Amino acid sequence: MEKLGRKLRIGPTDNTSYERTPRENLRIIPPAARDSFLPYSRVQPGIRLGENDLTRLAPDLPRADGDAIEMSGQILDDTGQPLRHALVEIWNANKYGKYAHDLDGYSAPLDPNFIGLGRMLTDEEGRYKFWTIDPGCYLARPDINRWRPKHIHLSIRGGASRLITQMYFKDAEHNDTDPMRIVMGDDFHLNIGKQYETPNIDVERGYKFDIVIRGKDSTFFE
Amino acid sequence: MVKNNMNDTINPTNRLPLTNEDTVGPYYPICYDHDDRMDLTKSIVGQQFEPKGDKIILRGRYIDKNGDGAHGALIEFWQANAQGVFRTEDTESSPEIDPHFDGYTRYRTVTGDFELKTIKSGTQLGRAPNITLTLFSDGISRLVTQVFFENEISNETDPVLMSLPQDKRDKLIARLVGEDDDNIPIYDIEIILAGEGETPFFDDFLALGWRD
Repeated sequence: MEKLGRKLRIGPTDNTSYERTPRENLRIIPPAARDSFLPYSRVQPGIRLGENDLTRLAPDLPRADGDAIEMSGQILDDTGQPLRHALVEIWNANKYGKYAHDLDGYSAPLDPNFIGLGRMLTDEEGRYKFWTIDPGCYLARPDINRWRPKHIHLSIRGGASRLITQMYFKDAEHNDTDPMRIVMGDDFHLNIGKQYETPNIDVERGYKFDIVIRGKDSTFFE
Repeated sequence: MVKNNMNDTINPTNRLPLTNEDTVGPYYPICYDHDDRMDLTKSIVGQQFEPKGDKIILRGRYIDKNGDGAHGALIEFWQANAQGVFRTEDTESSPEIDPHFDGYTRYRTVTGDFELKTIKSGTQLGRAPNITLTLFSDGISRLVTQVFFENEISNETDPVLMSLPQDKRDKLIARLVGEDDDNIPIYDIEIILAGEGETPFFDDFLALGWRD
């Protein structure tokens, strides 16, 4: 009997899971080819100062609608080593649950003061910090009345580490019926930001989201 | 077998639980594209330096179960240089590294189509020339596969291709379909995400943190 890898589950993610999820099991990578499956990104984009503050379009322009929040944390590999100088990109909907993205046809209003994209490099200790707007939840599938709870998307890329994920909020509306939360099962708590007080800075509250990401020496499943 | 010395093998059960992967969703910021390149044969724009090796163009498209393009997906490309060596932290200063070839890029495809200008990788360590493609898209978290090239003798002994049944091997081999105005050969591959004629994808997830 041929040994095979995971069989991916079809959704129930947003719109295209049925069309895009392979029906066959994944294949096991032969040991001799393992290294070739670990992309290493050396080049990082030029980053402008202030790209980690999403709450204003420029320092003297008005704040976007909604609660300004801080999201911060440390990125470690699974052996506990910090991921230094990695690119962290975030994107999230505005207060009303609307993305500025071309493809978002949701009926909620755009906020002219909120673009909803930010990025920065982690520091020597693998730390990152963003200010953004507490995002709204939104009706992702009007056809079946399915909502997505509020969440912030993150993409992390540095060296041999790569992760695309989302940060969720504790006990938020629609968490329990969210397709991605259901797929994560008991591990959902790993993707919830932990709220903290921010008495001395100009945001309403903070969320600590520490991330553990696969490092280059990780063991492969066999 | 917990060991305290950092240089010792770390007991896998000591590993930290991984943050869950999640879908990239449909709204990945397109505007970040300007930092990405679909031409790996120019290491620095505006300079004459070029990587060693034979230039090729890999043209392809991701197709869903209905035959439609996987619009709005993010694709990452990863390959070795002409000597078959990957450029990583560990090999950065190796004499086998081509300072004018990086081997990594990413691209956000609007339609599911892509076209990468690059060089054909070398054949070190028994590997046939190949490019690793990672797809992030709405509906899935991540899919990984490798693309090979038609008419390479080394295909016959490549461990990845050999691990597959014959009909699946063919799904990973890009066909030579012509050349461009500069006589650079153009290879073409169709990657079928689901259903009839499905392309094989690989399980690069590690043991820890993974559960069925």
